[in-house]
Amino acid sequence: MAASTPSWQRGRFAGWLVTTDHKRIGILYIATSVVFLILAGLMALVMRLQLAQANADIIGPERYNELATIHGTTMVFLVGVPILAGFANYLVPLMIGAADMAFPRLNALSYWFFLFGGVVLMLSFFADGGAASSGWTAYPPLSIQDPGSGQDLWILSLHLLTVSTVAGAVNFIVTITNMRTRGMSWTRMPLFVWSILLFGWLIMAVMPVLSAALTLLLLDRGLSVGPWDVQTSFFTPDDGGSALLYQHAFWFFGHPEVYIIVLPAFGIISEVLPVFARKPIFGYKAIVASTVAIAFFSMLVWAHHMFTVGLPISLQSFFMIASMVIAVPTGIKIFNWLATLWRGNLSFDTPMLFALGFLSLFVIGGLTGIYLAAFPIDWQVHDSYFVVAHFHYTLLGGVVFAIFSGLFYWWPKMFGRTLDERLGKWQFWILFVGFNVAFMPQHFAGLEGMPRRIYTYADESWEGYNLASTIGSWVMAVAFLLFAVNVLKTRSSGKRVGNDPWQADTLEWYTTSPPPPHNFDTVPYVTSARPLNDLRRKLRDERGERVTV
Amino acid sequence: MPGFDLVGFLAQFAPVPPESPNAEGIRDSWIFVSIFVFAIFLLVEGLLVAFIWRYRRQKRARFEDGAEIHGATKLELAWTAGPVLVLFLIAAFVFIELPGIKNIPEADARGELEIRVTGRQFYWEYTYPNGVIAIDNMRAVAGVPVRLVVTAPDTDVIHSWWIPALGGKIDAIPGVTNETWFQAENEGVYSGQCAELCGLEHAQMLASVEVISEEEFLAWIVRRSDEQVARRGDLGRETWEGVCAKCHGLNGEGGIGPRVAGSPTLTDVEDLGNLVRSGRGAMPAVGAGWSDTQIAMLADYLTENPPSGS
Repeated sequence: MAASTPSWQRGRFAGWLVTTDHKRIGILYIATSVVFLILAGLMALVMRLQLAQANADIIGPERYNELATIHGTTMVFLVGVPILAGFANYLVPLMIGAADMAFPRLNALSYWFFLFGGVVLMLSFFADGGAASSGWTAYPPLSIQDPGSGQDLWILSLHLLTVSTVAGAVNFIVTITNMRTRGMSWTRMPLFVWSILLFGWLIMAVMPVLSAALTLLLLDRGLSVGPWDVQTSFFTPDDGGSALLYQHAFWFFGHPEVYIIVLPAFGIISEVLPVFARKPIFGYKAIVASTVAIAFFSMLVWAHHMFTVGLPISLQSFFMIASMVIAVPTGIKIFNWLATLWRGNLSFDTPMLFALGFLSLFVIGGLTGIYLAAFPIDWQVHDSYFVVAHFHYTLLGGVVFAIFSGLFYWWPKMFGRTLDERLGKWQFWILFVGFNVAFMPQHFAGLEGMPRRIYTYADESWEGYNLASTIGSWVMAVAFLLFAVNVLKTRSSGKRVGNDPWQADTLEWYTTSPPPPHNFDTVPYVTSARPLNDLRRKLRDERGERVTV
Repeated sequence: MPGFDLVGFLAQFAPVPPESPNAEGIRDSWIFVSIFVFAIFLLVEGLLVAFIWRYRRQKRARFEDGAEIHGATKLELAWTAGPVLVLFLIAAFVFIELPGIKNIPEADARGELEIRVTGRQFYWEYTYPNGVIAIDNMRAVAGVPVRLVVTAPDTDVIHSWWIPALGGKIDAIPGVTNETWFQAENEGVYSGQCAELCGLEHAQMLASVEVISEEEFLAWIVRRSDEQVARRGDLGRETWEGVCAKCHGLNGEGGIGPRVAGSPTLTDVEDLGNLVRSGRGAMPAVGAGWSDTQIAMLADYLTENPPSGS
């Protein structure tokens, strides 16, 4: 490849600009998402300052609503999905023994659409009337009412991101289906790859619905194209539209979206735990089956976000039961992960700490979900800070911990050097404590009647919870800062550790760190879900060493 | 543990103390769910900590294999069936409690009170059966079931009615009419606020329910009715404080809306009516649908109590 590459494309900068290498695209995805994570985190810190005290007036309601909207949108669309797509880009071809993704140029296109979508969203702060301020859910009629162009840019941004995500999903599905190396049957596929396959299918199933809803929203807001003025009322009642129609469409996408983010995080955990427990994953097939079940049922639970809109009790009952059904495969995963630790030989390197932290926090987010699934209970806590706490336990305590686990785990593969373990452990403990200080009290604020999305409050009995939350948020900021220090510090001085520092099981560790552009010179024939473990055994057998069981 | 009050313990981690049967049903369901939630929490976190401690590496080699266990079908079936059973129990309990949460109780001889609750940017408008209008502070009779018919004007946005002590929330949606209810036995003031992001002053969209005795209530509603006929009285002040002041400040000094103190519009019934009924620029049509009476009472109030501007 290098020989035929024009010289201008080989430059340090141009090489990244024109790359179609899945590994470079993966790193671009991750790095860009981390930048957005920092920006959205800063937005959260400002919001927390505003809420630290009752009746505070640090930022007004305009800025607060914009920050809340863009914080949520960024975390979901510019951090959660793309950072996991970044891991998937980097890892899927390596894990299945392929040289690249099925459509490398489409892959590059996905990345650039993601970047442009993100840039549009960030720049919308400078739009006429400021950024969108109707929440990441953009419920009409509120999202139609705002005359500024921020909301239109928000829609444009999400359209770009949807194109990016769907193109990426097609690529993952085709790659995983067609390009697995010899011997890698479906049941020998790494669990992370399984999670990405379902990630892809879910995106294909639900993203078009979001696109449709956003297009209708755009038309409702009024669109002038040349001589034509389009002004519809799909979502406004004065001309026979329905505001609830949007909510149904949005959440038909929105709930699976949660699993689009969570399933790959589960996948990371399923890769990390066995390696640091020195055991095979407990119940491979049960974990695959539960992944498929979660993906399927996630499309049948959307109206649990709409329990307070006055749906008939029969419908609410259906969505309660469907939501509870999802808890079963999720429980299977949790217990299978626990059983993976059972009788293991546990080492607590940073990736493992974050994976265990994920387990302990995600369980809390899962359990608070049971209250929310029971619709009469949800009538009480819906749209309160209890919900804010709930989904931050799943998405920050869950997904972000899994992401850090993955970063520390695959860093040596990506860059040939490890991150600093001591700094990593400090980061873990600071983040773990800061997270709980920030989000545990929000459960109680919600129970005492504090609604979400308010820029200020008069009730001084909520002040203690909010102050704790604010302090926790800044403690978390320290942990993120430590990560940045770690990255800079180890850039040139990190330990070089060879191909397979963790003695792991999957094919990406078979090649060099970092891998060459074509990934593998040879790929071993895959004989189980743990091809490298099989190889190590074979070598030990050949050397006549006893195999310890 | 003798004497350990499980329900009392779990009630500390439950919604606010209920003052109405529906809120009570919700809280009972909450506590029932909590029994399982806390048990599962202790089980999972306990196993996690126990395994971390018991199976840590200690003196073993870094890469020595743990037990080669690939799964255990019976065990996995058990932790599939267990949660199914727990969720079945929870769903069953919820359905048992549901009628007491959802259905308004039979009224006694005093009947029930129906109040129309309209969510508007950024205030709550209450309409009583005799046409009396009140803003933000609702008055209700102790012991009498109150049926709330909740909606929002077609030109407005979605709001959500929520008084935690008096039950769950219900959305006020343009084009949709929802119902909820409460029945408070104890006199007192119960507060809550809009729970669905409705724009800039969402956080100021507070609501309170003042539960009073039947005599007090009757006296109040007759007085308000007379006032509305005479076009003089409290509604003007309530309108200023509940509707205008949230954006323009209690003294008209300006807030997220411009300063209005000293503006001739405040006291000109016709200009004021046009302004509030159709909105202007960023200002929503806060007074769409208001009666001439209400606008006259607002203008009168502002004539007699001109906002000082500071």
